[in-house]
Amino acid sequence: MAIVKADALVKRYPNPGGKGGHLVAVDGVSLAIEPGEVFGILGPNGAGKTTTLEMLEGLTDIDGGAAWIAGIDVKAEPHKVKEIIGVQLQANEYFDHLTLSDLLRLFSRLFHRANDPMELLRRVQLEDKADAKPAALSGGQKQRFSIASALVNEPRVLFMDEPTTGLDPQAKRNLWKLVEGLNATGMTIVMTTHNMEEAEHLCGRIAIMDHGKIIAEGSPRNLIAQYAPEPPAQRTSGNLEDVFLTLTGHALRE
Amino acid sequence: MGSAWVMAGTFLKIFSRDRQSIFFTLFFPITFMAIFGFISAGREDPMKIGVVDGAASAFSAEFITALRANPLFDVTVGEEETLKAQVVEGELSFVLVLPPQFRADDEADEVTLLVDAAQARQTAMLKPLVEQTLLDIERKVRGIEPLFPLTVVDVKARSQRYIDFLIPGLLALTIMQISIGGSGYNIVEYRRKGILKRLFVTPIRPRDFITGIVLARLVITVIQVAFLLAVAVFLLEVPVVGNVLELLILIFVGSAIFLSLGFCMGSIAKTQQAIMLLGNLITLPQIFLSGVFFSVDSMPGVLQPLARVLPLTFVVSGLREVIVNGLSLAEQIPTVLGLAIWLAIGLSLAIRLFRWKEVAA
Repeated sequence: MAIVKADALVKRYPNPGGKGGHLVAVDGVSLAIEPGEVFGILGPNGAGKTTTLEMLEGLTDIDGGAAWIAGIDVKAEPHKVKEIIGVQLQANEYFDHLTLSDLLRLFSRLFHRANDPMELLRRVQLEDKADAKPAALSGGQKQRFSIASALVNEPRVLFMDEPTTGLDPQAKRNLWKLVEGLNATGMTIVMTTHNMEEAEHLCGRIAIMDHGKIIAEGSPRNLIAQYAPEPPAQRTSGNLEDVFLTLTGHALRE
Repeated sequence: MGSAWVMAGTFLKIFSRDRQSIFFTLFFPITFMAIFGFISAGREDPMKIGVVDGAASAFSAEFITALRANPLFDVTVGEEETLKAQVVEGELSFVLVLPPQFRADDEADEVTLLVDAAQARQTAMLKPLVEQTLLDIERKVRGIEPLFPLTVVDVKARSQRYIDFLIPGLLALTIMQISIGGSGYNIVEYRRKGILKRLFVTPIRPRDFITGIVLARLVITVIQVAFLLAVAVFLLEVPVVGNVLELLILIFVGSAIFLSLGFCMGSIAKTQQAIMLLGNLITLPQIFLSGVFFSVDSMPGVLQPLARVLPLTFVVSGLREVIVNGLSLAEQIPTVLGLAIWLAIGLSLAIRLFRWKEVAA
């Protein structure tokens, strides 16, 4: 049975330009993610990836459709859902004047748990930064700390929103390893990304979104077989990036 | 509710480490206290007066000696023209001109009082004081007993020093700034930085988050006010005559009013610049109009109706009556009513404007 299930999710925002009318950010997205999967959501900017995640996480109101995490209705019991999921957000800012261990202690207590911050920091290789402020961390360290703070409640599902955007190759590989390690413990992982290499490397299945809809779904291998253009004379392309561009077009997105 | 305490503890921890905030919330009131504390240091200065001895008799000499013995006056004897110039320059409060015929009998000429009419209020207060003193001295010199001996007993130890007037105003100002800063400014910053979203991926309820802010701010306000009050009492010898429990109630109510107004502002303003502007728009006029530095009565008549209904005015006057004049809350119903109305306005506006979902969005 799917641990993350979405049935025709819809999110509308009031039209930013004129009066009246709506901008449909997510337009009937359905998902079924099995326990232990690493599931990737790909798509250009503005495709509705983050909004879809936020609806699944209970952070944003669901305007249409329904979602369940481990059988719990997100719309009806968002707080119950939050108890069993971990969320890594794009924004990486925290309260000023609090150290990493202060913050982890705070997040743990909001889950009514008494975690040892050092134990969590060790899992993301930040134990020597326990007394540092988040502002003093590098990009990769910030992302790892963000994952540590998403682990305080031993979540069954970990949501990650573009976890490697802006990281250097070393930090990126390091984060992939961390994600693989978490997945090896049985944790289901749902992530968004722009990075095709990342999707190919980490995700067992991916969904490609554009204009609020899922336009393709499957394992990276199957998607490549299905959508990648015929290789030209010399085989230089034919990877997932080609699939992505074939499906969503080459026009620049803001 | 547990999460509210966790948040309150967290906000207190943040504040205790935020040396800049602590410095700036205390800097302003402490500076004013220092400046005006020095000006009105110790007891009241004797009034500087000039005396022109037109009679130059044994009787006038005796009169001047008696005047000098009075602690209210610091007497300079000199020529009329020089002393008059000193009144004009503001060095002397007034000059007493003793006429040539200055005698302890009915034939005596008038005693003239030279004052600067521009200081009309002072003159009005001055005249009875001078008359009374002259009468006392006259009686003493002539050796007669007053018909109705009057003993003045100070019952309330009300002080007239400016610093005593100023302290409650500064306390009210501090309450306003800590409360508006802690709710309005902080919410906008937390939202902008994505901190609110980070918090709301945990199961914390918005009401626990708000309760946490309110609890922490009440504690911070009470500590800061207590600190300022301690400085006022121990270093500046400002008498605190009122009931401490009522003082605490006033601090809480004042704080609650400005916290809720801050939450309203934080809901309306989306950016840091907007909240700064909105904050100044609400706090600056109140700083000048609410009787913090000078009484509302001495303001231009057109401004008074507005000044009298500002929330800070009620907090200032409540604190002033309790701290300096020792009145109980039951003795100042209009102020209590004003505070209650503002609290109701603040809370209902805050509840209406504050959208839980938008906190994190």
